[in-house]
Amino acid sequence: MEDFIIDAQNKTPREVNQTIKEAALENKKITIKNPNAMHYLAAGITESVDLVVDGSAGYFVGTMIHGARIHINGNAGWFPADNMTEGELVIDGSAGDGVGQGIYGGTVVVTRDAGSRTGEIMKNGTIIIGGNSGFMTGLFMMGGRIIILGDIAEDAGESIIRGVIYIKGNIKSLGKNAKVKELDEEDKRELEELLPEYGFQLSPEDYRDFKKIVPLSKRPFYGKESEEG
Amino acid sequence: MCGISGVVFKDKKLHPVGDYMTKMLDALQHRGPDSAGFAIYGGLGLEENEYLLNIEVKEAPGLLEQVKNTVITTTPIKKEEIIPSVEDYIIYRCKIALNSFNELKPLIMDIDEIKNVIVLNGSHSFEMIKDVGLVKDIAARYNTKDKMGTHAIGHTRFSTESIVDRYHAHPFQSYIIPDITVVHNGQITNYWKIRDPLERKGHIFETTNDTECIVHYIADKLNEGYHLEEALEQSVKDMDGPFSYIVGTPNGVGIAKDQLGLRPGVLAENDEVFAIASEEVALREVLDTHDVEQISPGEARAYTI
Repeated sequence: MEDFIIDAQNKTPREVNQTIKEAALENKKITIKNPNAMHYLAAGITESVDLVVDGSAGYFVGTMIHGARIHINGNAGWFPADNMTEGELVIDGSAGDGVGQGIYGGTVVVTRDAGSRTGEIMKNGTIIIGGNSGFMTGLFMMGGRIIILGDIAEDAGESIIRGVIYIKGNIKSLGKNAKVKELDEEDKRELEELLPEYGFQLSPEDYRDFKKIVPLSKRPFYGKESEEG
Repeated sequence: MCGISGVVFKDKKLHPVGDYMTKMLDALQHRGPDSAGFAIYGGLGLEENEYLLNIEVKEAPGLLEQVKNTVITTTPIKKEEIIPSVEDYIIYRCKIALNSFNELKPLIMDIDEIKNVIVLNGSHSFEMIKDVGLVKDIAARYNTKDKMGTHAIGHTRFSTESIVDRYHAHPFQSYIIPDITVVHNGQITNYWKIRDPLERKGHIFETTNDTECIVHYIADKLNEGYHLEEALEQSVKDMDGPFSYIVGTPNGVGIAKDQLGLRPGVLAENDEVFAIASEEVALREVLDTHDVEQISPGEARAYTI
């Protein structure tokens, strides 16, 4: 596969993104060199392209992508994959706050730790954090799944409405409307199928450590539980 | 929005920290275009009783002489320099000697009485550089790249509350104890609740800027015997609002972040350097950023040498 190289050195985010959009029409793989933790990289890419960011990215990397597969060889700042609808964003490093904020679909992977509010207001899709995830992970989560292989910090699942958060490590504290449940066999099978796809090789004992956070109620603030369709 | 950064060289030796801080702030320029500032510690080499004054003076006949005469009523001027700035102002910088640190604030207040004159700061162990405009322009104007030191903090300002001028550029300084500075990204929403008890203790506020409130709060805590990290931890409990801020002291730097984590802060360090900033893009100017740590909500971190 031919690799189209973009050198981001001395370019603005707008220039880099315009070049990505044009190159994505004719290339299956694009590599961005010298990203220098630049913000907004690969924003709004709707082509089904493989994009490698060869270094750290700044805020909102991969925001609003639909179908692109992005691999970052470094860290990411706040809100990676924000509002993604389809595709994949793999961060081979750590990430800041709001990983996968508001995603509607697709998969976000952070191989090490993530900051606060991972998966806030996400509607669907999958987020995998290889390390720890910070304060208010799953804040107002409305669907999808978050998998945390490390520990989860205070107020986990704060005001969660739908969706599920799987945690292998410790839960510091739960947020409002969140409760902990044991995994059932279907949950375990789902994790056993999913995690190796992204290079997380766990033993059968490891899978037994998982527990999950789900909503106490789908109508925590007003209305009646019976109204839930 | 604002960008903040801090760096410490752990070996306590002099390094081109002005150059490093210039690069860190330039990388954070997108977070605030209004003004920028530096507090560069350890490189002034002043005698124990010596202080450096930075005074903003409007270009007007006789005004600079009036400033000098006011200084001379307290102490002789040992060395002086004029740095051209913008908007018909100059920065008059002079070295003086005082019998004690307690004489510094009254002298500054005397000078501030002169119309169209304001003392930007008076320091013993750090050099304050702050002005309106972009980092690269300020860096060139004040030759920041040649400044040596052991550690530094810096700021790029996106003003949201108080006016844009040199005085309101960060860092802010407190005179409760010597040489405490703060750069800040955010808002302190219980400002008056923090300010009132400090004023009752006799601490003097010159502005209504919440960053001035932070610097006096921290200096007051240090004066009470708190270690830097303890003072930062207590501030997170006492202050409301979205904030992250960095403190500079003669011995180090520290960062504190609000309990909801609404403003950014990242940290990286190795055997030689401890660095903190709003974003990784600044850290990478001073060290390898393979391992970047997010400052957690409500967390305080410090490094002292």
